[in-house]
Amino acid sequence: MRRASAIEEEAGQIETVKDLTGVFESIASTQVAKVKNKVELSKEFFQLLWKRYSALRIDPDTRITARDRSGEKVGKDNVFVIISAEAGLSGDIDQRLVNTMLEDYDPETTDVVVLGSHGASQLKQRDIPYVKFFQVPESDSYIDVSPVIDAVYPYSNISVYYEEYVSLGVQNIKTIDLITRIKDMSEDADEDVISEAETIFEPSIDYIADQMEMNMMTLALSQTILESSLAQSASRFNAMALAKDTAGNLLKDYKLEFHRAKRSESDRRMREILVSLKKKKRRNKGRGR
Amino acid sequence: MSESKSSTEDLSVIARAPFHIYYEGRAHVVSAANNVGPFDILRDHADFFSILSPGEVLIENESDSIRFTIANGIISVRDNEVLLFVNM
Repeated sequence: MRRASAIEEEAGQIETVKDLTGVFESIASTQVAKVKNKVELSKEFFQLLWKRYSALRIDPDTRITARDRSGEKVGKDNVFVIISAEAGLSGDIDQRLVNTMLEDYDPETTDVVVLGSHGASQLKQRDIPYVKFFQVPESDSYIDVSPVIDAVYPYSNISVYYEEYVSLGVQNIKTIDLITRIKDMSEDADEDVISEAETIFEPSIDYIADQMEMNMMTLALSQTILESSLAQSASRFNAMALAKDTAGNLLKDYKLEFHRAKRSESDRRMREILVSLKKKKRRNKGRGR
Repeated sequence: MSESKSSTEDLSVIARAPFHIYYEGRAHVVSAANNVGPFDILRDHADFFSILSPGEVLIENESDSIRFTIANGIISVRDNEVLLFVNM
């Protein structure tokens, strides 16, 4: 049996791990609340923007899907964008993300663009090449996704693989076509048509529509990044809660082992005392004779 | 009295960034700039749609002046409703 002092030392280390995972758990929980709020604000913003945009065109769907990519064509038709975490400690969600993407992946027709170091390392481990890597853009007030948009814009089909937050306990992997995403987010907002006859456009209606489309694409991608961040925070929360529970259970085992070792040590000391007392008694008896 | 005055003379203004609300409410005037130059929007302004230039936006209501800086933006004015989409 190990010495009680050694067990006590290890139990102290487990206690520290438990405290640390508790802190990470709280941080993840705060992060979930913060990102949820941002997602809501962003959705409202998108709705307002779409409301005005849809008034500019009778059939805005046609215009967005008919993006003019002449002269910008790349070798392959499809691009997969995977949005992963910047670091580990988020459970197995990024592995699931890469595995889901690989089910649809054909290297002959598809390029991969990856956001987040964790996803990039997952792809490297599986020998999957990617054409571009970006750090996950994040800020409290602004997400700059323009470099990502520039990279994916020339492709005909843009599929985004990201982690969707369902609840604190459930996070799913989701795939969307970025253009479909824009339409989905609009929720068919209705608005009377704004015509050039009744409205002053500066500089021009086409320039404004182009700008709004780019903004909506940016927003749609920003929102997938936000949702991913939300799912990763929730996954991190779960991983930390699990680690905290495991550390708590380990600590209980250590405490039990510590008390056993302590009792065994005191029993051993007691036995040693009794043995020496007996020896002493025997010695005293021998002298008495 | 002041309430009825504000409802007949004011604009309804929403100024938002994707993750931030700068202003939502009634206002007398919205001032900003586009590539033509600085402009003010008052009640009964013609319907107007424009790309905003980087700079300051000013919204004034009965009691307050709200100023904020923008890097980019779009303004839409329609039937005395002003929407400002900024810092996208």
